[in-house]
This record gives sequence, C-alpha cells and structure tokens, in this order.
Amino acid sequence: MLEIRNLQAKAGDRQILNGIDLTVSPGEVHAIMGPNGSGKSTLAGALAGRDGIEVTGGSATFKGQDLLELEPEERAREGLFLAFQYPVEIPGVNNAYLLKAALNEVRKHRGQPELDAMDFMTLVRKRMSLLEMDDALLNRPVNDGFSGGEKKRNEIFQLAVLEPTLAILDETDSGLDIDALKTVAGGVNAMRSPERSMVVVTHYQRLLHYIVPDFVHVLARGRIVKSGGKELALELEEKGYGWLDAEPARPAVASGVSLHETSTA
Amino acid sequence: MQNWYPGDKDGKGGIYNFVTKRGKALANAKVTWTQVETGSAITWKYPSCILQGDNSVGEFYSVAVTNNRQQADTGTKMVHLGRNTRSTIVSKGISAGHGQNTYRGLVRIGKGARGARNFSQCDSLLIGDRCGAHTFPYLEVKNTSSQVEHEASTSKIGEDQIFYCRQRGLSTEDAVNLIVNGFCKEVFRELPMEFAVEAQKLLSVSLEGSVG
Repeated sequence: MLEIRNLQAKAGDRQILNGIDLTVSPGEVHAIMGPNGSGKSTLAGALAGRDGIEVTGGSATFKGQDLLELEPEERAREGLFLAFQYPVEIPGVNNAYLLKAALNEVRKHRGQPELDAMDFMTLVRKRMSLLEMDDALLNRPVNDGFSGGEKKRNEIFQLAVLEPTLAILDETDSGLDIDALKTVAGGVNAMRSPERSMVVVTHYQRLLHYIVPDFVHVLARGRIVKSGGKELALELEEKGYGWLDAEPARPAVASGVSLHETSTA
Repeated sequence: MQNWYPGDKDGKGGIYNFVTKRGKALANAKVTWTQVETGSAITWKYPSCILQGDNSVGEFYSVAVTNNRQQADTGTKMVHLGRNTRSTIVSKGISAGHGQNTYRGLVRIGKGARGARNFSQCDSLLIGDRCGAHTFPYLEVKNTSSQVEHEASTSKIGEDQIFYCRQRGLSTEDAVNLIVNGFCKEVFRELPMEFAVEAQKLLSVSLEGSVG
C-alpha cells in the first residue's frame, strides 16, 4: 500500500525529516507517536503534498506509484485522505456541497458514475449517523463556526463518505473531550477493513485505547527510533519519550507481531 | 450582465464602460437591479433607485470581478423620499491579479422619508496579493425615525483553503470556483436559475489562471 524509504523533508528552511522508513500493508493500522517537533505533522504533510514542505530525498510509493510525483488532488483521488490537525474554514461554501464535489471527483477517477443529489444524501445520512453528527452541520459553511470537536468529527465524516484506501489522521484526538473522542474513534473503527490502511499520528496514547493499532512507531528528531506492537504505546505512556534517547535507532520496517486478533475494538 | 472586452493582460485596448441608470418607484412599487460585471478595462456603473412613493422598495445585488489590470468602480444610489421606504444593497467584489474593485454607494434618506430602512452589505474577496478592494459607503440621513445599517467584510482565498480542497480531490481551479461561488451565493440566488448557471461559468472563465 504505502512504502516510504529514507524520506527526508524540509519545512521552510528547516530540515525536519531525516530519513523515514515505513511500510504499511493493506488493512493495517499504524500509529506514529512522538514528542512535539519530532516531525509527525511534517510527515503527514509530505505524504499529502502540502505546500511549504519540500521533499529533499528518499522515496514514497503508494499502490505502486511514485507518490511524490503526484499533485495533491491526484493523491486524494488515488485514495489518500488526510484528516487535518487544523481543519480549514471556508466561509460561504456549503459543507455538503464541498463533499459532493469531492466525492464525485473521486468516483470519476475510479470510473464510477457521479452521484446525483438524492443518492448522495442517502449515503451522507448513513455516514452521519455513524459519527452522531447533527444534520445542521451539513448545510453550514465548511468548518466555519464549528467547535473544535465538530471540526474533527467533520474530518472523520468526510473520511467515511470518501472511503479512501489510505487514511492519515493527523492528531485527530487533539481538542476532543472524552465523549467526542469515543465517537470519533468509533467512526474510525467502523471504517477499518482489510483493504483500507490507516496511519494515526498522535501525541498521546489516549486515542490508541480506542483505535487499537497493529504497529506503533516512535518518531524523534525526524527519524523512526523505535517500532513495535501496540504495547509499545503503553510503555511510552509509562516512561515518557525521554528513555528513547538512550536506545539505539532500529530499522522501522515493521517487525512487530500482527495484532489483528486482539484489535477488534 | 456585462462582459465587454477587458483588453490584454495589461488592460491595453480594453473597453471603458460608464453606466448610470435610475429606476423610479411610486407607491408600493419595487425596483430591483441585479448585475454581474466581469468585463471592461474600467467599469463605472451605478444603477440607482428613487423611492418616491410610500412603502416602495429598492434592491441592488451586484457581483463584480476584476482580473489582470481591470478596475471596477460600481455601486448604487438609494434615494428614499417616501415614507416607510425600504432598500437592500448586497455587493460582492472579487479581485484577482492586479485587479481593483471599488464599491461606491449612496443611501440618502430625505426629511419626509419617515420610517425608512436600509440594509447594505459589501463583501470583498481577494485572490493573490497584488489586487485591491475599496469600499466607499455614503450615508445621508435627514430624519430621526429611519434605520440604516452597513456591513462590510474583506477576505482572502488562502492557500490553506485551496490545499484543503485539493486534498479532498478538487483541482485548484475547481477549488477557487467553489469558494468564489460560495462567496457570491447571496447574489446568484436572486437570478433566474439558467442565468445563475451562466453567471457561474462566466465567473470561472474570468478567473481562469488567477491562482497557481
């Protein structure tokens, strides 16, 4: 699904990523953890093709294609979805309208017929109940005046409608209270499938109680310094990120045991 | 809807368009102006309403787009003479490239226009960092029983908004069109449906290549 080899990137003038290696296979959920400034969001941004993040070395392939050659919208149409850490407000643009345009772009790319308004609404209502979203959010401008929790819910709602093959969740848990966290995690879990992979970027272990990952990677100073199964997250919670400085860097190609059997959260 | 030749990229050879129109409303009558301005090198256009009769109503809905070196200076005059006259002004200016957009309007409430009301809303949208938007609302109120409101806003299409749309699968141009159409919604919904569709298309053609 996704193969990252020795990826290096700059954000502005600063070198942030210093050689990331990561392999994500279909159906797997990978958590990327790390202290502030370790490069988590830069990695997410580099994969999505965000302006201002310049890839300076290495490679990333997505479903066999050179990901870095593709425009951001081509990556999206191929099935790469980024749930934003800070969802952007677009005043005046109806939430449902953006989503319908996005869905039809994706469908066109897949060679499926475009959905008309009726079929679109049927799909949307099904997905909304998943996130326990208020109907009114559909007809409000994109993220405009949404609370922090509503914005994050809206991101996962878009994920549920667009049905990407690779979802990258960038600190989706930040700014969520415990109830909203459970709802959002429930939405994400409902989207787990053998064909869909997820990369969950988070600062805290808390989210991983609800979205149980198959693999956990720790990012520090722009490198993956440790990889393991879900128990690594627990270890981190106990010891903090400090103890990792003493450990030698290990290759990140996932060597952990698959935890599929135990991860039916 | 006016789409005169705007000239080349530097505005050379473009048409200058100067328009004044007035509508007079007698008792209980209504005059509505709806305009979509996309052309001309320079536009000066001020369709106005004389609200002479009691309870008459005046409306002005405008979308003006400037790209490259275009300049648009447009607005309306709402002259309230009769009692309980009402007027609404909604003006949307979109500036791209080196374009300059000006709203210039007068709301005059005469001595005898008791209970008159006006609401004005002027919104400007900037695309890029070399364009400009200007708003000159003139308000003259000659009695104490009238109510005049003016709201104005200026916003810019941000790179983060465009990236957000692209991450969802839209091209840059579709993203700009989506944001611009959302911005103009209040005016477009005053147009007949077929016409609104044409107006949207014209806008997207006028703004082609303005980003990226």
